Amino acid sequence: MSLFGRSPLTANEMGLLGAIVLVLVLTTLLDGNHNYWNEPWLSAEDIARQTALLGIFSLGAAVVIIAGGIDLSSGSMIAFSGTICATIMVLLAPDAMQNAEPLGLPIIVLAIVGTLVVGFLVGSLHAWLITVVGLPPFIATLASLVGLRSLGRVVCENVTEVQFGGKSSQIQIYDEQFRYLATSVWIPVVVFVVLTVCVWLLLGRTVVGRHIYALGGNEDAARLSGIRTGRAKWLAYCIGTMTATIAGILFIGDQSVADPQTLGRGYELNAIAAAVVGGCSLQGGIGTAPGTALGALFLRVVIDGVAKIIKTGADVYEGLIVGLVVVVAVAFSKFRERR
Amino acid sequence: MTAGSDRIPLVSLQGVTKRFPGVVALADVSLDVREGELHSVCGENGAGKSTLMKVLCGVITDYEGDLVLRGSPVRFERTRDAEAAGVGIIHQELNLVGELSAAANIFLGRELRNSLGLLDDRAMESAAAALLTELECHIHPRQPVAELRVGDQQLVEIAKALSLETEILVMDEPTSALTTAEVERLFRVIGRLRGAGVTILYISHKMDEIFHLADRITVLRDGRLVDTLERRQTNPREVTHLMVGREIEATHLDEPRQPGDVVLSVDRLSLPWPGHAREWRLQDISLKLRAGEILGVAGLMGAGRTELLECLFGCSAERPVGGIFLDGREVRLFHPSEAMEAGIALLTEDRKRLGLFDRMTVKENLTMCVLGKTTVMGFVHSGRENGFAVDSVNRLQIKTRGIDAPVTSLSGGNQQKMIIGRWLLTKPRVLLLDDPTRGVDVGAKAELYRLMDKLCREGLGIILTSSELPELLTVCDRILVLSEGRLTAEFSGDEATEEKIMEAATFGPGVGRSS
Repeated sequence: MSLFGRSPLTANEMGLLGAIVLVLVLTTLLDGNHNYWNEPWLSAEDIARQTALLGIFSLGAAVVIIAGGIDLSSGSMIAFSGTICATIMVLLAPDAMQNAEPLGLPIIVLAIVGTLVVGFLVGSLHAWLITVVGLPPFIATLASLVGLRSLGRVVCENVTEVQFGGKSSQIQIYDEQFRYLATSVWIPVVVFVVLTVCVWLLLGRTVVGRHIYALGGNEDAARLSGIRTGRAKWLAYCIGTMTATIAGILFIGDQSVADPQTLGRGYELNAIAAAVVGGCSLQGGIGTAPGTALGALFLRVVIDGVAKIIKTGADVYEGLIVGLVVVVAVAFSKFRERR
Repeated sequence: MTAGSDRIPLVSLQGVTKRFPGVVALADVSLDVREGELHSVCGENGAGKSTLMKVLCGVITDYEGDLVLRGSPVRFERTRDAEAAGVGIIHQELNLVGELSAAANIFLGRELRNSLGLLDDRAMESAAAALLTELECHIHPRQPVAELRVGDQQLVEIAKALSLETEILVMDEPTSALTTAEVERLFRVIGRLRGAGVTILYISHKMDEIFHLADRITVLRDGRLVDTLERRQTNPREVTHLMVGREIEATHLDEPRQPGDVVLSVDRLSLPWPGHAREWRLQDISLKLRAGEILGVAGLMGAGRTELLECLFGCSAERPVGGIFLDGREVRLFHPSEAMEAGIALLTEDRKRLGLFDRMTVKENLTMCVLGKTTVMGFVHSGRENGFAVDSVNRLQIKTRGIDAPVTSLSGGNQQKMIIGRWLLTKPRVLLLDDPTRGVDVGAKAELYRLMDKLCREGLGIILTSSELPELLTVCDRILVLSEGRLTAEFSGDEATEEKIMEAATFGPGVGRSS
């Protein structure tokens, strides 16, 4: 018996860990510039940061998937929350934002807290649409996928017009303190690790976590076992949007601009991919936080490896790689199940 | 019917054996089916009836032995081969596409086409209409089958088989979901099919049906063919005896139980049924349950047995009207969690769909309702959780490899005991059991009866519904009978008989109450 009740890693996760090591070794060997060999720390930092930025909202996607739902909104939620965060800063300190002056810690904290509240509200909206109105999760979050990005742009244009006197579809962020959130490696990584542990504890060691598994595994049986399934869903969808919100805040720090049109476009599928590669079943009821974290790491390692070996920008092949990895990983686990 | 046994049999199974990992589902079964006869195959759950039929219909292809059709050996590779050879099957769980029309279902996979290669809906619909009329099925061929009653859906399947020019029709427990009127209609249809020369293999364990319909009866037990009998030369008692392998002794429950105080009482409970001609699923139900008493609820399918238990557990589709009192205090239940807190537990009818978490372990399934009691500072304490699970496994003697075994590794009877165990951990006052022995084999049934008796003696009040009257007669202290949502009779355990209950259960609404 380990600290967390069962063996800390499932067979699937051990396999994933092996695959990550294998890809790292292959990249080291096949990369003509020997980046991993010559600059191990720089490479590790880069992979860690990218993994953290992907992994944070993949955890949210995983919780929703384990609860038997799906959250298609995370990419748009990243864009929306990034825009909201920048908007709050513009509203609180318009001059500083326009003239690239420091904002001060209180404003940054207020902006972050305000954005988290917005994330919570959007998650609650999803839960309400699904449990009270009775929409399928796919539809409810599809509406957000389409709607939030557009709403972000509306907010951005109106606020810039009022505060800066000219419409803009993006907001520049110059504040060094805020940008340090993402430009430093350790903040995103620490946030990611802490979130992974929190989600791990929540799912594995709390009553509501067990209820989330039960809900995803058999919703009718869960309700008839006296579980308040609506509450469990509410929590799951709020975790889904709030992790995306945290990622959104980090992303605008990373890119030093909040652009609701391009930020996080298509990331919802990367998050679902990381969860699925990490062992979550889209039928619900199966999956873990460490698995999802490893799934995100595996995706980033493969993307980085291919970019190093082929020597083009990582983003060129990213979609293709994610697609292939998902197909291979799921096919492999099906194959292993059948044996 | 009078086909001589000297003629070549229409179908002959010769030494058919089918092994699944760890189990021999069929062991050296040889069986002849004569042309034009209605041959009934009966046996308990797990006796091998379904496996035998799957061999015959090309669903199972890797078996040992031979299948001989009209004197020549055949080997079906898939169901299409069997259909082409004139073998059709009506599965217990119907094989229809709910969204498609009756006509589209009848011609599914071999749709009629016009000269342009497009679907010829009109031709299919008129052909379907002709077939359905012949079967006394008064529906429109364009109606989606999901909207049809189960009895009509079944006739759509039969129409499909007829349109395939089926000569040998296998029917797998066809009456299990039908009303009395529908059963009668089905029997007329069967008579007509036989008149048209169709040979029928009729799988059932209902003695009255078998003895009403069959020419010959084959009994399977544990994968072996026990005997094939002429219906005229046997009787239900003998067949039952062969099925079980011993006389069914009424599970003897020692001394009579002593009921205590009234723990649950229901006063004029009604459950609305919006959009239905009857308006009420349940109407004016009043009952009292004492501690240490098993109260049986009998009734045909659709009489409202399940709905009554759902009302008492706070999970009915509509909100019931009327009063529910626990220990004399009125309770209003809007969610199963409230019923659970009040001390009511419900074992659902459909274990797999409504009770089991099939991706979880035995332990996780057992502790689902009491996980909140195991926490230390908000976290589930493994030791306490294991304690709950081990206690339940020991108390109910659940046969499992261990508390961390996957729940799917348990047999049906043990899964059922496990779910009862889940609820007992909540320390209920009232246990509602909705057809708990469905799909459970005979040995496990007796064990469940003993468990109910034991729990009752410990002071639990139990309400039990069952589709099998002998079961209610065996275990209940009192039996209530529902008919179309109304209470039509109440019997004490001593005075109740199957005949009296059936009479009360088939009363229409508005008929006077007897007691």
